[in-house]
Amino acid sequence: MNRDELESQLSAMFDGELPAAECELLSRRIDREENLRACWARYALIGAAMRSEPVATARSGFAARVSAALGARASAPPHARRRQSRWWSGALAASLVAAVAGVSVTMLRDAALRQGRAVALVPAASMSVARVAGAVDSAAAPAPAADARAPNGTGTPSYVTPAERGATNTFLRTQLADYIVAHSAFSTPLVRRNLLSELVTGEDGISIAPGFALAAGADATAALPGPGR
Amino acid sequence: MGPDASDLSLVRRVQRGERGAYDLLVLKYQHKVVKLVMRYLRDPADAEDVAQEAFIKAYRALPQFRGDSAFYTWLYRIAINTAKNALAARERQPVSYEFDTQQGEDGPDMISRLKDPETPEGLALTEEIRETVNAAIVALPEDLRTAIVLRELEGLSYEEIAVSMDCPVGTVRSRIFRAREAIDRRLREVFDGGLGRAEELV
Repeated sequence: MNRDELESQLSAMFDGELPAAECELLSRRIDREENLRACWARYALIGAAMRSEPVATARSGFAARVSAALGARASAPPHARRRQSRWWSGALAASLVAAVAGVSVTMLRDAALRQGRAVALVPAASMSVARVAGAVDSAAAPAPAADARAPNGTGTPSYVTPAERGATNTFLRTQLADYIVAHSAFSTPLVRRNLLSELVTGEDGISIAPGFALAAGADATAALPGPGR
Repeated sequence: MGPDASDLSLVRRVQRGERGAYDLLVLKYQHKVVKLVMRYLRDPADAEDVAQEAFIKAYRALPQFRGDSAFYTWLYRIAINTAKNALAARERQPVSYEFDTQQGEDGPDMISRLKDPETPEGLALTEEIRETVNAAIVALPEDLRTAIVLRELEGLSYEEIAVSMDCPVGTVRSRIFRAREAIDRRLREVFDGGLGRAEELV
């Protein structure tokens, strides 16, 4: 495309008379070529002079300074930034939750295996990730432990079937109790006590966090800290 | 498509995330906005700072612009409010020596501050540009002059001009471009050759 044709397109675009597809292509060239921006500014100047509007009141480089200021503060208009940040923050949150859940599951499973058995944590942890990402409404979702009750009948350790109640869960309950205490700095003693009490007395397992279910056992009492801890 | 619609087209592109389109709106309205702000702030440098702030505010608020009014009308309100806020902030600051000299017994002279503070150099440059543009228009062939006048002064769309001039829309587009090209050439000749400050035009 020669210069005349390019500037003819620019003139039509200035008047809002260039087809959208051509506008798209020309805009990219304008972004790259200072000459075209200067030409655009002179077209504006000509119109303003014809209408006896103010001309040459802004010093040279004013538009470039505005552009630089905008570039320094943001590279996209606010709504686009919000969209991008929502997208990135969502992806980042999901990645972080997945990573934390993965590490936790691995650590807990290894610990449980050291105790001589596998523990049904994988499904619960996966559901936790899904719930944090907003995919599952925790209120509407069935209790993972209850879903996992169906025996597989093979007698092999299962990641779906929850562990039976017994002394082998002591380690997990201890960890859970420690976790509750360590993260209850801002909760009231009453809430903390109720939570720990539920952990001790629950028959079918409790939900400490959405999707994180454990079978409770009678011997967890030993792991409970005193109220003042 | 009239001038308002052409602005709206740029606005929609900015709203879709094309910041380059906003640069074009700034280039189009920079002089008008600076001139507007200068009605409130005497110092041209201060006026430019406030005008810049107004453009930045407008950019941030652009997602809420629905196109109910013309873009410049909307921008005008933002610029006026920004200038008034800047003036009010200045009132709260300790009074400077320069300000004291303009203050009468009854307090700050608002009228004097609202007078057009354009410098003699700025006025001369503005006059020079107007004279050059007008001379170039007079020198244009009749069909080019009619097309550019109908567009810039009457605000007609290409289609309306085509009807008015009884020619195809493509011809209108070509005539308007050639008119602008001729005026632009004259402007650049004058400023590059005579005054060496063509860059001041943008």
